[in-house]
Amino acid sequence: MTRRQKAISFFVALCVLLVAGAISLNVGWIVITAERAPLRVLLFGIITFGLIISGLIVYTVFLVLEIRRNEEHDTFINAVTHELKTPIASIRLYLETLQSRSLDEQQRQRFYDVMLADADRLHRTVDQVLKAGAASQKPKVIARAPVDIGALTRECVDLALQRHHLQPGAIMIESHNVGPLMVRGDAEELRTVITNLLDNAVKYSSDLVRVTVGVAAPTPDTVWVRVQDRGVGIPRKQLKRVFRRFYRVQMRGLKQVKGTGLGLYIVRSIARAHGGRVFAQSEGEGHGATFTLELPRLAS
Amino acid sequence: MSRILVVEDEQHIADGLRFNLEAEGHDVTIAADGERALASILDDRSSYDVVVLDVMLPGRDGFEVASTLRTAGQFVPILMLTARGRPEDVLRGFAAGADDYLPKPFELAILIARINGLLRRRLWNEGKTSGVPAADTYTFAGRTLDFTAMEIHARGTSYRLTQMECQLLRYLVAHAGQPVSRGTLLENVWGVHEETDTRAIDNFIVRLRKYLEDRPEEPCYLQTVRGVGYKFVPGGR
Repeated sequence: MTRRQKAISFFVALCVLLVAGAISLNVGWIVITAERAPLRVLLFGIITFGLIISGLIVYTVFLVLEIRRNEEHDTFINAVTHELKTPIASIRLYLETLQSRSLDEQQRQRFYDVMLADADRLHRTVDQVLKAGAASQKPKVIARAPVDIGALTRECVDLALQRHHLQPGAIMIESHNVGPLMVRGDAEELRTVITNLLDNAVKYSSDLVRVTVGVAAPTPDTVWVRVQDRGVGIPRKQLKRVFRRFYRVQMRGLKQVKGTGLGLYIVRSIARAHGGRVFAQSEGEGHGATFTLELPRLAS
Repeated sequence: MSRILVVEDEQHIADGLRFNLEAEGHDVTIAADGERALASILDDRSSYDVVVLDVMLPGRDGFEVASTLRTAGQFVPILMLTARGRPEDVLRGFAAGADDYLPKPFELAILIARINGLLRRRLWNEGKTSGVPAADTYTFAGRTLDFTAMEIHARGTSYRLTQMECQLLRYLVAHAGQPVSRGTLLENVWGVHEETDTRAIDNFIVRLRKYLEDRPEEPCYLQTVRGVGYKFVPGGR
């Protein structure tokens, strides 16, 4: 962290110095040439200096962005390492236990269940990395078929409750429309979007999980899926950044939440491929966050 | 029985470790995050014999936990068990105060061996070895063994004992009348679990016989049991 900040402040300082130097040279040029040279030469000099200065600034901005990206990439590698190695370590541990100890049938069944859960977790992580890889590929071909987004959401909620071992009331569905809300798209991809949003809502809720999911049609042509949690919230400045690849929310005192930094990136690219968008709202730290997926509605 | 604290937020790994360490005869406590681990260790001082510490924990991470403990003067042996296996992570772990570092995924047998290594070191440092009574002196056939002063008084002379001689004698005395194999002695006195070089003990026995026996070449108190090892007989032959 500090190394990165040092590098950034060094390059910003260097840029300021160079710009200052260029400006004083420019002023000197004007003063010296104003008396003898024709206006043409004077203008040429001013424009050239202006270009150099803007070049310097652009260069520094890119450098700083690149350093930030690099840092995010590092955290991503760490996170993925952890997410991949932990389930492998666990499966290994249980296999070795099964191999080397005498166990009764009940214990053995319990160990098999643990190993299955770890294999699933491993699969989800690999899936997420692959999906993020696919999302960054430009020509995106998605299967398009009518999908009932309300039914899909209910399905995802049931799965999330089961996966996170939650009480049925922990994730509530509010639906204002009586009829089915249809969109055109790939059901599997949309399932990924809603599941990722739900997983985040649960992960970033503190101890008490209270998530509200709303499916609505705010205008005749659009459909909203809203996932609202009462968790740690997102600082205003980071509301847009959270959708960037590898980006993870940074807050002082935030307990480390495990993940790869890919979930919302995948959400955004799928939403865009469906001609929709996704955005985050939050009252700030500690006040929860609301994620809204907006998709074009298919007239039924 | 040794008390082991496992600091691990991954429920599955924590449970698996608990199961195996308990099967090895240890008393296992689990802490799911850094704060709880610190509170637990600093609360009742040095009641844990080994701490198995994960690095990526919610809140304060393992590096922080280790260095906080060391700064607080708590020197319980720490084994870091973490998915981060890059050289810089390992170095950071040792710099924070870890005694051993094992990357995940790990082999169960190796983890257990390393934990036993740390436990053994602790026993050595405390100068006591498992299975030995804490009697301070022992008298037989006119000879007095003073384990505290590490001395033997025999035949009107005093002999100073080295630490290992003292431990060995203590073990043999505690198992008086029973034949004890060289392997058992290596395991329980030296804390080494290895089949090779059990003859190293013989040199110690030769020296102890010089102190105790009237005729060391025909021992009657520290007897050789052919094909097994040694036997201490207080009454002599």
